[in-house]
Amino acid sequence: MMFGKRSAIWMLVLIPAGVFLAALFLGRYGIRVQETVRVLLNLDGPSDIFRALILRVRLPRVLAAACVGANLSVVGAAFQGLFRNPLVDSRILGVSSGAAFGAALALVFTWQGMAVQAGAFVFAMVAIGLVMLVGMRFGSSTLVLVIGGILVGALFNSLLGLIKYVADPLSTLPAITYWLLGSLNATQWSDLPPLLAVTGAGLSFFMLVRWRLNLLTVTDTEAMALGIRVRLIRGVIVAVGTLMVAASVALAGTIGWIGLVVPHVARAWVGPDHGRLIPASAALGATALILLDTIARTVLPTEIPLGILTGLIGVPAFFLLFLRFLRARGETQ
Amino acid sequence: MSRIWIATTIVALLAVACMAQSEITVADQSGYEVTIAQPVEVIASVHGIGTYYVYTLGAGDRLALAYYVGVRDVSTVSDSMLRWEPRLPDIFSFGDPNVEELAASGAQVVLADASQHEAVAEQLRELGIPVVLYRAETSDAMKEAITLTGTLLGPDAQERAAAFITDYDRIVATVATDVAALDETCRVRVLFIGTSLTKAISGDMYQTYLIEAAGGVSVTRELFGSWNEINLEQILLWNPEVVIIPPYGVIQPTDVLENADWQALDAVQSGRVYRMPRIIAPMDTPVPESLLGIAWMANVFYPELVTLDLAEEVALFYADYYQFALTDEEIDILASP
Repeated sequence: MMFGKRSAIWMLVLIPAGVFLAALFLGRYGIRVQETVRVLLNLDGPSDIFRALILRVRLPRVLAAACVGANLSVVGAAFQGLFRNPLVDSRILGVSSGAAFGAALALVFTWQGMAVQAGAFVFAMVAIGLVMLVGMRFGSSTLVLVIGGILVGALFNSLLGLIKYVADPLSTLPAITYWLLGSLNATQWSDLPPLLAVTGAGLSFFMLVRWRLNLLTVTDTEAMALGIRVRLIRGVIVAVGTLMVAASVALAGTIGWIGLVVPHVARAWVGPDHGRLIPASAALGATALILLDTIARTVLPTEIPLGILTGLIGVPAFFLLFLRFLRARGETQ
Repeated sequence: MSRIWIATTIVALLAVACMAQSEITVADQSGYEVTIAQPVEVIASVHGIGTYYVYTLGAGDRLALAYYVGVRDVSTVSDSMLRWEPRLPDIFSFGDPNVEELAASGAQVVLADASQHEAVAEQLRELGIPVVLYRAETSDAMKEAITLTGTLLGPDAQERAAAFITDYDRIVATVATDVAALDETCRVRVLFIGTSLTKAISGDMYQTYLIEAAGGVSVTRELFGSWNEINLEQILLWNPEVVIIPPYGVIQPTDVLENADWQALDAVQSGRVYRMPRIIAPMDTPVPESLLGIAWMANVFYPELVTLDLAEEVALFYADYYQFALTDEEIDILASP
């Protein structure tokens, strides 16, 4: 379904803003709507515990969910165009595997909080660095980058397996397992400045290169004929996308399906033009992850890992999109 | 007369020889019938908790290879533990059991974990090495496991197993009597967190039994499975009066007490956040030493009600079951909140 430009822009703003606000009213503690409104408007009345819960627990977490969802979706949309492959998401270049290894390494040394995030971020960058080295040595065609990503991902997955094998089953192993399933439960205000900075800069960058992304969806030869410095642009897009994914994964753990499914939904909504696809992916990704994270933190007394929810919802969603694609091609009965 | 003596001696020798070659058949906790030649002189334990059954029954010197719950690296073992078991660096092992290593250890019986080691047990049986599988994650199952181990290890171990179960039941009964006057609403609400501030036990875990045996109420008793990730809102909703941290991992009471987000909790406001002490085994796991875990928790929850002398119980347990004299400082560690 395609929408008019004006209505699409309004929906891109209103949907995530509405979901963002609604999420601040929901939580296990059961704070009344009036109390939440008073806290948000900074009026007198609500107790300190209500203020702490809404402003120190819910608000940073919902903000983080919005940023992470937007980042994963935008990078997924950009990479699907860049690699001319609808099955690609932000994990294609081994970045998530590198981040998972870095986080596990930090956890096995019983480091916590920012150290785990730093470990994830550093090894995500090491992973993409290795892929880029392969690209520089053998030509940074999409095929070389994808093969490099698969190899680097496999290497870090093996190293992650080694870490899990030697990890203490009473303490470290459950922590690694939980981290790998993804969660925003540990989010604090202090985690947000780098994430907000990377998200703001990354989204701005992708909006600036939106028309180049459109040109890169054709073959390299055609793109070069149109005056695009394909290798340079591709390298910069990969680097910025990796930075956004690394910042997200470092905070939230590995969250699948968002970067794969949301861009397809956005494409069905606003079409393939990256000028619309990028903001639509950002808005829908932010909305989707805020919704899922709200479910994760409110439905049960225990947290539901985000990776489980994104899988449970992402798989049927992807299947429905696939059916729609087949129907459009007239391949179903 | 001399013929009678000779005949008696021969009969006695034959009897001893028969006893020496005798076998026993027991059913392990997975339901397997296991036949084991007696006496058992060499044991391998790939069950980190079962290893402590062997020590408790006075047969630690028969271990040729052993896993120790909570120990993954021998270089991290405390001085106290090395003083207790000087052979630990030589017999320590961990990870997935290696069948050839177990066979090479010369073990007459291998103690293993039913939830992890079924496949290894099958391979060992094919090599003719008996395997006893344990499934002991409740207090009753632990007592059954200790009785079973006593049966394998001979009459002395059987007596020690019976004595241990008597001691365990005595401590549980004493605490139950001490706190009997408290109705459900007066019981201390306890949050047992794990290796991070937001990781908590479930109702299925042994720690929940320990809390209840000590007269408390675990606020996470409705959760199921293993360690559960919970969020701060839910913790504030439960508002525990006591927070317990296990004796492993990096979390310390100050991480809770000094955390700005936790200040509204009753437990933080009253300063009742404790890390379980540890000298040998982690007392929150289903090891025999967990009877001290019950006594320790009861003293933390109701110091004014509990009549057990914790320091005395600690010293007695270590002397009677581990044959180990704790220093005064070590007794203080185990007997203090």
